[in-house]
Amino acid sequence: MIDPIWIWLTPYLGALALAILWISGVRDERIYGGTAVGSILISALIATILTPSVYHGHLIYTKYSWLPSLGINFGTYMDGLGAFMALVVSWLSLLIAIYSTEYMKGDWGVQRYFFFFTFFVGSMLLLVLADNLVLMFIGWEGTGLASYALIGHWYTDEEETWVGDPGRKAFGTPMYFEPSHSGVRAILFTRVGDIGMIIGMALFYMITGTFNIPQISETATGWMSFLASKGVLTAALLVFSLGALAKSAQFPFHEWLVTAMTGPTPVSALIHAATMVKAGVYFMLRFSPIFYNGAEQLGGAALAATEHYFNIIALLGGVTAFMMATMALVSRELKLIFAFSTASQLGYMFLGVGAAGLLAQKEMAYEGIAASAAHLMSHAIFKAALFLIAGWAIHAVHSRFIDNMGNFSKYMKITTLSIWLAGLSLAGLPPFSGFWSKEGVIHAAQAAHLENLWFLAVFTAGLTGFYTTRAIIRVFHMPPYEPPHHEAELHEAPPRMLWPYTILAFTALIIGLVWPFGFGADFSNLISKTLGFEEPVKLAVEFNATTYGIITWVLAMVLLVPALYLVMKVDFVSILKTSKTARILHDFLYDRWYINALIYIIIVGGFIGAIDLLGYVDGFIDAFYHIGIPIAFILISKGFRSMHKGRPDLYLAYYAYGIGLLLLMLYLIWG
Amino acid sequence: MEASIPVLWISIFLPLIIGLIGLKVRDDDIEAIAYTMAATLLLPLFLVAVAAVKGLLGEGIVDPWMAHLQGIGTLALAVDGLSGLVAVGISIVTAFVSIYSIPYMRTRIEEMKEAGEAPPSLGVYFFLYSLFAVAMLGLVYSTNMVLFYVFLELTLVPSFLLIAYYGYGDRRKIAILYFVWTHIGAVMFLSGMLYYGFHVGNFDYLDVATMTPVAGTANLLGAAATYVALLMVLGLFVKMAVFGFHMWLPYAHAEAPTPISALLSPNLIGLAGYALARITLPIFPGFFADYKWVFIYLAFTTIIYGGLVALKQTDFKKFLAYSSVSQMGYMLLGVATLTPVGITGAMIQYLSHAIGKALLFMTAGVFITELHGLRDIRLMGGLARRYPLTAALALLGFMHLVGMPPTIGMWSELFIVFGLFKNVSLTAEFIPMVTLVIVALMVSAAYSFVNMRRIFYNKPRSEQATLKTETPGALQYSMLFIGIMGIVFFLWINPYYHGLLEVIHKTFLFAGIGG
Repeated sequence: MIDPIWIWLTPYLGALALAILWISGVRDERIYGGTAVGSILISALIATILTPSVYHGHLIYTKYSWLPSLGINFGTYMDGLGAFMALVVSWLSLLIAIYSTEYMKGDWGVQRYFFFFTFFVGSMLLLVLADNLVLMFIGWEGTGLASYALIGHWYTDEEETWVGDPGRKAFGTPMYFEPSHSGVRAILFTRVGDIGMIIGMALFYMITGTFNIPQISETATGWMSFLASKGVLTAALLVFSLGALAKSAQFPFHEWLVTAMTGPTPVSALIHAATMVKAGVYFMLRFSPIFYNGAEQLGGAALAATEHYFNIIALLGGVTAFMMATMALVSRELKLIFAFSTASQLGYMFLGVGAAGLLAQKEMAYEGIAASAAHLMSHAIFKAALFLIAGWAIHAVHSRFIDNMGNFSKYMKITTLSIWLAGLSLAGLPPFSGFWSKEGVIHAAQAAHLENLWFLAVFTAGLTGFYTTRAIIRVFHMPPYEPPHHEAELHEAPPRMLWPYTILAFTALIIGLVWPFGFGADFSNLISKTLGFEEPVKLAVEFNATTYGIITWVLAMVLLVPALYLVMKVDFVSILKTSKTARILHDFLYDRWYINALIYIIIVGGFIGAIDLLGYVDGFIDAFYHIGIPIAFILISKGFRSMHKGRPDLYLAYYAYGIGLLLLMLYLIWG
Repeated sequence: MEASIPVLWISIFLPLIIGLIGLKVRDDDIEAIAYTMAATLLLPLFLVAVAAVKGLLGEGIVDPWMAHLQGIGTLALAVDGLSGLVAVGISIVTAFVSIYSIPYMRTRIEEMKEAGEAPPSLGVYFFLYSLFAVAMLGLVYSTNMVLFYVFLELTLVPSFLLIAYYGYGDRRKIAILYFVWTHIGAVMFLSGMLYYGFHVGNFDYLDVATMTPVAGTANLLGAAATYVALLMVLGLFVKMAVFGFHMWLPYAHAEAPTPISALLSPNLIGLAGYALARITLPIFPGFFADYKWVFIYLAFTTIIYGGLVALKQTDFKKFLAYSSVSQMGYMLLGVATLTPVGITGAMIQYLSHAIGKALLFMTAGVFITELHGLRDIRLMGGLARRYPLTAALALLGFMHLVGMPPTIGMWSELFIVFGLFKNVSLTAEFIPMVTLVIVALMVSAAYSFVNMRRIFYNKPRSEQATLKTETPGALQYSMLFIGIMGIVFFLWINPYYHGLLEVIHKTFLFAGIGG
């Protein structure tokens, strides 16, 4: 048996090798690309070799001592969820790495790119396989660092790497972002959540004295009842999950993900499909069964507090799903549409986990969690494909705006087929993989009696169909609104770029096709081997009137797009020019519900105010010590000097006063 | 355990002897001196590492050369778990900064000569440097307040002269300012210490025979104990530049020659934090327990205040100086929690800050040397394109300050927060404390990454920032080694953690803290 530690250690060693090569002056980009692809391939193969054993119910768990007294070890814990995540992360990253070797060819920072790419993959694999919170946190922070570096990869901030319309402002806050700015945003936004996670760890340390995840699961009733008795269980769980909310870009932390589009497009694919944003969902998948089981056994106040927590998670997920989908409706940047869509789909996953936590029946609760896991997988596959296609599209016309793209279907048949396959999977239509998983999440919301959120999720599914089709129709089947500024290279992508996304798009279809015929059951079986799953799950979609209703609604929204654009030829641009209502609505959505502006005005503005104020305070302290006190002493010295003017009569008088004072004091003390 | 040879005294005298030889060496041949001195300064690192491997950190190593003086106590040197990482921090930084100093000081001295001044030679620099370095080492090894105070004063003289000889700006005035301020701190400490020593009969704070802390002696002082403790603690606060007493630091650290800033900022001021845990805490446990929340809030004030004021700075070195104030807040926070894990975090914070801040001051120094004294952040920008290795090392430095893995900063951050939450009553204080911790840690992250961007990313904002391109040399490679140490100790934390914990548990037991 191969040691599972190699799954995450190999990419780290690859990154280390690249760092050493770079310092020793090697600059050949083929070595960098090769090392990245090679090390990720090895970890993908090891993950694949080990998974069948997990599937058959053997937990793979190895440990190397590090800080044993705190339960912090290099422990690789490969249960159903770990194996599943390792597979998704490693294989997707591999395809994206192969794509990158072509996409980043000749880039001035290609060496740095592959270093952080490999480091990113290693961190993500560590995060999903760690057996304790601290090790998981290390992977967690590693993904944060790598995303910071890769989002800001083109840190010289040329205008073509920005995101947003140059010059656009909302309430005076600029709505365009340079790569270096986006990098800082990404790391600071997610860092808020990470600190929540540190505090969560502090609580575990305080109450249980261990960071080991299986032990945390075993002792769940203990620490949960303790926190419940203090009345802070809901708050503590939320603080602990803050990292997940921030990393997975749930409201109000979603802003960083949107501007993360300044990175090279394969990085967007990596962040959205395989690493980073999936970390938060993984966290929820990992811990929600633990919370659920603990609450279930305790009942009473602990159960109520945990349900309160799951309600909040479901609400945040549902709201994020809807909010981000509306923003995607009006966006003009291809990558941005997919970015909004990612946050929206992650919202579905959080909704699924939150709803599952509210279900009284155990096997249904686990099913809800498994549905979120399934959606994570299908999203990873189709979103990677979409971003990789977007990368080629942007490269082809040298512009990130869909206004400059058009008629691609005439020149690239395979790409057109691929984007339709991936897009329809995102829309959630059968028989694509996205259908089965999204349906599972929506079903969980219904079963948990979250009527409002259920309705929101169904409505959002229609919006998803609409914005996805809009992007595809605009780019592939309509002439561009304005021709690109540079000469477009309209032909199929080179093989190393074409194949990865074609494979992914077909995978989205094939998984969907085989889902009802055994794949769904296999997936359920693997996920059933996860820590905390006390009952085996069976993911199955019931086709009833509601299901058909949802399919019809999504299909209608998908078909509405070609009807509007191609048949009725509605001119949205002039509608926007003439109608004030349309413009207000458009701007509201286009400026992302003004949330970015509010964050900048209130939080950033508040801090800037505080900084200015403290600058004055510091100046005052400085002046007090270095001007005030010296001046005081100068004055005192002047005063004393003026008393000594060489007049004996005055000296005699001082002497008399002094003696008098002394006598008085003696009298007061002894008298 | 008593060592068979006086290794600790040797590690103090060797660099000093090299420094003395250096006085006679011509400036052109100074490399030999700098490299030998670096090698000898690495001795403490080696010693502590061997002790760690052999599991001796909990027990400690005592130097066989000692003197017993009536009324003073035992003048001896020792190193144990609590001081181990502090000694390591000094050793790493002083050794590699001495190599870094060669190109830096050559340029500085030439620059001063061009300006028509007559600075003392490189030999003088390296002599003062060695004196400064070994005085800090001696301070860490000390087991007796008198010896501690002697070494404390000994750090002051060479650092004062180094600022006055080779500093920037209004350097003579600032050197005096530095001298007076740290003397205020030192004298406060001294007066408390003298009162203590005359009433107790000796000045020992570590019993070298058993390697146990002197504790419970505060009872001999009666009602005066609180005032004595206050004097000593406030004295250390001035040294440490806690909020309110921090005003001298930005001047001194910004205007010192940069290699000296890299020693002053993390190493010297952090020693006061070490002394808090080593000397005052075991002797005055009641005082620390009474003022626990005052100190915790003072620490938060220092962290947030220092961090926010740092964000306002436009001078690279002044920004780093304010960030040091902020980082000292973390150290105070760790000690103030009065929990073993919190104090462990504070001592690890010493090392992580030493490494991180040294890297950053050295980064500032690279640009001062190569880009004609460029230190105004407003004129920087885009430097990563021309200085990729320096940029990478600066990022590593910032990661130490923020507490991101794979740097040792992560451990200090985690342990200090763990220690803090051991004190938090969940019912009433949970949410306020969570908010405070988030704000404090976010301020550190904000000033780090915002300034990383201002300095290294975007486009150059002046001609001056585009004058040269990096050719990695002594400047960068000495930084690289310091940076690697931060990762090494991140991975190899176990023996140090246990050494620290063992000594702190012993201290708590003797001082009767925490039941």
